[in-house]
Amino acid sequence: MSGLIGPHSLPLAALTRRLTMALLTVNGLFKHFGARAVLRDVSFGVRQGEVLGLIGPNGAGKTTLFECLAGILPNDGGEISANGQRLVLTRRKTALFYLPDGVTPWAQQSVDWAIGFFERLYAAPVKATELIDILKLESLRRARIGSLSKGERKRLTLALGLLTPQPLLMLDEPFDGLDLRQTRDVMALLRRQAAGGRTLMLSIHQLVDAARVCDRLILLNDGGVAGEGTIDELRAQANLNDGRLPEAGLEEIFLALT
Amino acid sequence: MRSLSRLPTLFGKEWRELTASRAYWLLLMAVGPLVGHGFINAVALYAEASGVGGGPAALPQGLTPLDGMLAPTFGAYDLAVTLLFPFVAIRLIAAEKESGALKLALQMPFGAGEMVAAKTMALVAGWLFAWLPGLIAVVMWKTYGGHLYVPETLNLLLGHWLRMLLSGGLAIAAAALAESAASAAIVTLGFTIGTWALDFIAAGRGGWLAELAAYTPAAALRFFERGLLRLSVVIVTLALALAGFAVAAVWLHTGRKFGARLLRVAVLLSLVAVVVWIGSLARASWDLSENRRNSFPQADEAALRQIREPMRVTINLAAEDPRLMDYERGVLNKLRRVLPRLEVVYAAQSRTGLFEGAEERYGEIWYELGGRKAMNRSTTEPIVLEQLYQLAGIAVPAPSDEPVFPGYPLAAHPKGARLVFYALWPLAVISAWWLARHRRR
Repeated sequence: MSGLIGPHSLPLAALTRRLTMALLTVNGLFKHFGARAVLRDVSFGVRQGEVLGLIGPNGAGKTTLFECLAGILPNDGGEISANGQRLVLTRRKTALFYLPDGVTPWAQQSVDWAIGFFERLYAAPVKATELIDILKLESLRRARIGSLSKGERKRLTLALGLLTPQPLLMLDEPFDGLDLRQTRDVMALLRRQAAGGRTLMLSIHQLVDAARVCDRLILLNDGGVAGEGTIDELRAQANLNDGRLPEAGLEEIFLALT
Repeated sequence: MRSLSRLPTLFGKEWRELTASRAYWLLLMAVGPLVGHGFINAVALYAEASGVGGGPAALPQGLTPLDGMLAPTFGAYDLAVTLLFPFVAIRLIAAEKESGALKLALQMPFGAGEMVAAKTMALVAGWLFAWLPGLIAVVMWKTYGGHLYVPETLNLLLGHWLRMLLSGGLAIAAAALAESAASAAIVTLGFTIGTWALDFIAAGRGGWLAELAAYTPAAALRFFERGLLRLSVVIVTLALALAGFAVAAVWLHTGRKFGARLLRVAVLLSLVAVVVWIGSLARASWDLSENRRNSFPQADEAALRQIREPMRVTINLAAEDPRLMDYERGVLNKLRRVLPRLEVVYAAQSRTGLFEGAEERYGEIWYELGGRKAMNRSTTEPIVLEQLYQLAGIAVPAPSDEPVFPGYPLAAHPKGARLVFYALWPLAVISAWWLARHRRR
């Protein structure tokens, strides 16, 4: 993969085939913090090349799920597999990369250095200059990371995440802190990444954003999967197709399922 | 192998993080005046003892650069390593933990081991710059006409390097284990104060506690300050320092379950305990002091080496009795180096000997060799040696014609030292900090 690939670069048949292949399978995942169960029997699949949204109320376990998948936190039970093979802890970093929300990595260093560091470290498949341009980081290149605003920091960390080569990229709240225009730009960028073959899993609390950017959604509630599928499938799961709310949006579905 | 090829990139990152830390620059800034103060006072005192200004000179044999200049000048590093350096080391881990950068770092294409190794390398490299004031002091000493004996100088530097590594290992481990930088700092300082307490208590008790206290950072450093290179001290210090870095590497693997990490740390510490125990049994040591203060005369050493049987020395002196201190320094330490099968028993029942002094046996030192026993109350070297020869049935050797240590008086003023250490060094550090800060942009 060189550069950013356009949304229509793959034939439809290949795209359809790719979308039905499970890149990552999570089966019966459990996680406890002391006596409190944060994840209970979480099972779902991530299909290759899709943008999968993880939605749920605060405290539903979205970040914990990401950290367990990334191998930053140990899970207490369950299995994670990639392409049909068990994904042991030591292989996680080759299969996926997780970009946490609200981090200020290496606050004393410059934006330019951080991007260069990731570029050198990963021999990045995406050109950093393109990301700098798209994420409007040019004017911030010499700025200290610690001095960036929340939105600027978000754009930087997105750039870092997109410089990694793992087939699955998990982004925690990728639009948090971005204004409307930036959100739209980043959405378009993420869609282009997915069209180029990269699988994305996004945790999003703004349901409008989730509906706009994701191919499928997982609704996490109280540590468990309350629904999984496209918006139509979720609508059906919530029994909202029975004439009550035939055009129900994600908000209604969310309220019905949680 | 791929991760090894990425080590320079990782080291570059850690080096940038180290030099971005104000704690590091404050350490560099403080080290100059601290070393300078030690050096200026040492040179002035050395000059007084050498009879500057026409005053009476001490015996030249007593004037050694190791005691007179090197130990007090480099002593400043002990202070810096104890009170400043841990904060620099802690920051390398704690800042990443607190900023969330650790979550990114843990997913990078190298293990926690390489990550800690790169941090260690950066710390060691950073410490080399902190040594510059000490090296400047050595150069100034030479320009004043001072004498230096290279083996004892290098030995002292090795001691301080090991001291730094131990402090760094402990601080890195504390930073990995603790939730915050503040907790890690408390753990590190608590350990240091604990070793001081152990030193203090052991000085009054002797016995196994004194054996253990020989490996506290301060006590270990004293061997090097006396010009002695003890293999056991090197092994134990190195093992403990590396254990600290290894514990950090194990603990930072946060994807493993708590119990699994705890088990790994326990196994690791057990292995280290074995290495420390085996290391502490190593008797090899080298007297690198120019005046051979840690050795008997060569003829006596050759004679004593004829003793093959195990020897037991039973000492009826309390730990706080100055005679025991004299005996330890002047006889036992030298004897331990020559007789590998020497067993020392501290038989006194009290710390002070205040109530034992009235007892008949108090003050007696018993020597047992091959079933023969002899008692002597003396703690001075020639008398003890004579007693040992008699007990072992060895003829008293003729005095050797080894050259007598001449001593190196130097009545010099620490010219220019104040300017260098109190003004130029801080200025240079501030300039380097400013340059580094602007180059990061």
